[in-house]
Amino acid sequence: MQRSLPFQLFRYAAIALALAITLVPILWMVSMAFKPFSEWQSAGANLTWIPNAPTLDNFRFLFGDSGSDLIVALDRTAGKPILSSLLSATIGTVIAMTAGTAAAYGLSRFGSGANLPLALIQLRLFPPMAVMIPVMMMWAFLGLMDTWWGLALIYGIVTLPFAFWLMKTFFDDMPKEIEEAALVEGCSRLRVFTRVTLPMMAAPLAAAALFVFILNWSDYLIALLLTTREWVTIPVYMASLSSSMTGQLYGAKAALGLIAAVPPVILGIMIQKHLVRGLTFGALKQ
Amino acid sequence: MTSAPTPEKDDGAGLGLRLTLPAQVLVLFISLFPLLMQLYISLTDWSPLSGMAWPRAWEFWNTFANYLDLVSDDRLWSALGRTALVMAVCVPLEFGLGLALATLFVDDFPGKRVAYSILIMPMMVVPAVAGYMFFMLFQSGGPVNDILSWFTAEPVSIAWLSDPTLALIAVMAADIWQWTPLMFLILLAGLVGVPDDQIKAATLLGASPVQRFLTIVIPRMKTIIVIALAIRCIEAFKIFDTLYIMTGGGPGVATETISVYIYKITTQDLIWGYVAAIALAILLVLSLLAVWAMRRMAK
Amino acid sequence: MITRRMTRRGFLGTGAQMGIVGAGALFAPRWVGQAWGQDLAAGMIGGPTGFDGCEAYQYGPDTPEGRAIEGAKALKGAGKVDKIVLGLSDGSIGQLTQPFPAGAPSIKELWERETGITIEIVGLPNGQEFTKTMQDISTGAGGFDIYSTDWNRLGDLAESGGIAKLDDFVAQYKPEWDDGASGYVGGAQGVALLNQYRGSTYGVSLDGDFQSWVYRTDLFADPKEQADFKAKHGYDLAPPKTWKQLDEIAAFFNRPDKGMVGCSDLRNQGWGYTNWYQRFTSMANPNQYLFAEDGTPLINSAEGVAATTEYVASLSHHSPDAISWGWPEQYGSFGAGNTAMTCAFSNLPKFLDNAGNTGSVVTGKVGSMLPPGREVGGGLIRRSVLWFSLTGMVSAQSKNAEAAYLLLQWLGSARIYAWMTANPGGYFDPFRLSDFSDKLVRQTYHDYHMDMVRETVARTVPTINYAGATAYHNALDENLMAALTGAKTAEQAMADASDEWAKITRRTGEDKVIEAIKASRAGWPTLVDPI
Repeated sequence: MQRSLPFQLFRYAAIALALAITLVPILWMVSMAFKPFSEWQSAGANLTWIPNAPTLDNFRFLFGDSGSDLIVALDRTAGKPILSSLLSATIGTVIAMTAGTAAAYGLSRFGSGANLPLALIQLRLFPPMAVMIPVMMMWAFLGLMDTWWGLALIYGIVTLPFAFWLMKTFFDDMPKEIEEAALVEGCSRLRVFTRVTLPMMAAPLAAAALFVFILNWSDYLIALLLTTREWVTIPVYMASLSSSMTGQLYGAKAALGLIAAVPPVILGIMIQKHLVRGLTFGALKQ
Repeated sequence: MTSAPTPEKDDGAGLGLRLTLPAQVLVLFISLFPLLMQLYISLTDWSPLSGMAWPRAWEFWNTFANYLDLVSDDRLWSALGRTALVMAVCVPLEFGLGLALATLFVDDFPGKRVAYSILIMPMMVVPAVAGYMFFMLFQSGGPVNDILSWFTAEPVSIAWLSDPTLALIAVMAADIWQWTPLMFLILLAGLVGVPDDQIKAATLLGASPVQRFLTIVIPRMKTIIVIALAIRCIEAFKIFDTLYIMTGGGPGVATETISVYIYKITTQDLIWGYVAAIALAILLVLSLLAVWAMRRMAK
Repeated sequence: MITRRMTRRGFLGTGAQMGIVGAGALFAPRWVGQAWGQDLAAGMIGGPTGFDGCEAYQYGPDTPEGRAIEGAKALKGAGKVDKIVLGLSDGSIGQLTQPFPAGAPSIKELWERETGITIEIVGLPNGQEFTKTMQDISTGAGGFDIYSTDWNRLGDLAESGGIAKLDDFVAQYKPEWDDGASGYVGGAQGVALLNQYRGSTYGVSLDGDFQSWVYRTDLFADPKEQADFKAKHGYDLAPPKTWKQLDEIAAFFNRPDKGMVGCSDLRNQGWGYTNWYQRFTSMANPNQYLFAEDGTPLINSAEGVAATTEYVASLSHHSPDAISWGWPEQYGSFGAGNTAMTCAFSNLPKFLDNAGNTGSVVTGKVGSMLPPGREVGGGLIRRSVLWFSLTGMVSAQSKNAEAAYLLLQWLGSARIYAWMTANPGGYFDPFRLSDFSDKLVRQTYHDYHMDMVRETVARTVPTINYAGATAYHNALDENLMAALTGAKTAEQAMADASDEWAKITRRTGEDKVIEAIKASRAGWPTLVDPI
């Protein structure tokens, strides 16, 4: 469609403004991550937007190497928290996607589990904070406290509603003819689901999985209450990046923040093509 | 399903049960015990500080005192009011901004891919990290004031996080920054999906762009808009991470939302019987809301 | 809370930088001891070696340290313990792991070498010590042998059953905390205040957060300032004796156009209420108590409203950002020469009045003073406040309770504690009589300051540390913040806080609280200064 010049100008101006606002916090994070200690605190007239003396010290510090005599090197490096975040978010996503996709298909095709849509909406609606006391008791009883698998389990549960609802809209929307053709050819129902339906759902599956992964990866509150020392995740570990001499170690926090953005970005790039289609919730064709 | 069962139907129903079983088990697992425990301790003054394990909470039986306290707990009500305010401001703004941006991205233009990639970046930043970044940005000697001073041509030193109103604005700004991209993404997906032919037809009939937008595009996107708003409302109601790191709910209780309030009385005051009463009250209200919403959707 | 400790970046910078420079200087040549040889002095069985004056920190068999080491060795020898897990604020770990002075072993190394028992330190983010402790207790996780959290939680934790009663160990190993020469200030009463709850020992004090007042000697001695002040107020410019004088002097020095703040005692969430305490408790002779003996809150009263009104009004001579200032900003502003008076942890002069701290412009210009007071009933009531103060507690779930206690006894005893508190690597501050006379400590903290801190201790009221402490303080804190931000009047704030306190007492158990309130009275000072 042809667009008028004023519209083009307006569009670029509006987008430029949106980009600028989006970028300020991100650039600040990137800039902080590469600033040496002496530049963290500069403020007002001395505010440095771009590091005067860029350094990788903040990243080295995260992995146990203090570049300065003034800041005590970390006893516990960022390696384990990164591993903990990766394991719990990934397995949590697998749990949510597996249970959610299966249930969505079961309901969509066979009408099983008619209670699930409401139950899962309630589950997601409810603030996790309000249920953490009994969950802590359960987790302690089951030996799941302070473990990545305990976190993965709760992540799988709290993001199950998204997996279920996203996939259900797509299954509802999918033409039945293809499956029926396969059934006629003698495939079992299960085989149709795994060999015919799921491959066709690759795009929505990928988009839903990314969405669920980001939610799990982002969690702060649940990990704060279910981990103590061995398997704290990245967001919880952030609070440890402080020292008696310097207060908060902002540079190190920013560096870890950058590292933490890597997995979602990589996944995002991998499924970029599917993202837009995957997020239509199958709700367009009516 | 009333027809005589054929082997194939059996196969289907059995498979359906098996497929939904894991989800059912997980839901039951996370609901049953917590619900029973909350019900039980909500009727007592039990706390982990009372020196007994929770099964003996009956020794602290207080009948319905916790529920009566709920009614007169001003802090709870103002936290709920504040949460509602955050939702009322953030969700429409995120929706409006997201939709406006999405309309600009429907057709191709040079630089679209780059702009698109940058716009969705905030989604990739862990909220806790965003909390620390926004904490720095809003310092009185910090970048936000620095940028403002470019426009006023004199130093700006607004103490954002020390003022009750400004602190609330700051945490809302952070929320809008973080979540507008999701709205943008979902709404863009919806816009792209609206069939061209209908728009062309309307154009031929002489409809203006605004008319086309309101009469064709929006109705076609109704479901997606509802879903997008629902997702954001649900998540905004629970707002915690970024806000808690930025202000801890302060100054005073100026940014204390319902999740922050419950977090504080859970980990600091440790009045777990009362927390359970709040939790059940919220659960009841939200469940009614969910049932109502499901009925609406079913129509 | 994380954010409570975090702060405005601009000031954090100056404060942080000076803190660092200060600490760096402390590590540097002043105490670079010649390695005098690695042997213990005659008759000693243990203690640090390798620096000048190390003999003062060595101990014989018949000392609290000696008994602790011998006991721990016996437990280790019997195969009962290999490792002690110690939860500790991230910021305090340095005092255990960094050698000080040069040539010395670290505290951790010394213990491990002498007993063969490993210390595993688990860092806890500052501000989350109590949360993590309660998490461990309420879930029965049993991840720690020792919790170290603020002293205010002693009652809550003892009531929870999560920390072990230490009476038997105390009887067996005789820590001599009440020793007249080297023990706690106030003897047995001091021990009761710091380590005991309802008559039993539950904790071992590892800190001395008696809030102490400092001022700028150069400003107060300036002839022009003196003349101007006298002309304006009719009395001599000197460290204030009363709150009225403090507020007047602060207003006098408050010069926003020059970036000068009259007074910077904290007003932020989580900390500020300790300064309200000082104004409130000095309202009666000998003390204005928080609760009547029957448990009725006394804050919703003329005294409470007056203290709150003063507390809010004093914002006028604070920084405009006072509501968000934590100690890093406070220290930064003082070190940059922008504050006339403040009330802080006792380590402020250690960092800011320090020849090696090139970032501080107030070196040699810091003086200490007693807390301001009020003339009531024929006497001058000066009151400071004891608050926070890290305390070691043994987990009730620990399988190594005895060894854990022995480590705490060793750490908290006269010789080791003085050596540890002189180390700039962490938060542990001096509190024992032996600390006040210790050479290293007095060098680090300064003679003038140590003497004044000791006098301050005698005038210090305890904050709440019995069951419900956290909830009481949060209720007070939130209402004071509401008063500071103008959301509530002083009357409203006190009425609401008082109502909440009554509710908390009901929930915590009235009998328990009333007994604790009565018991805690013994820890309040009786010292009344002449007018």
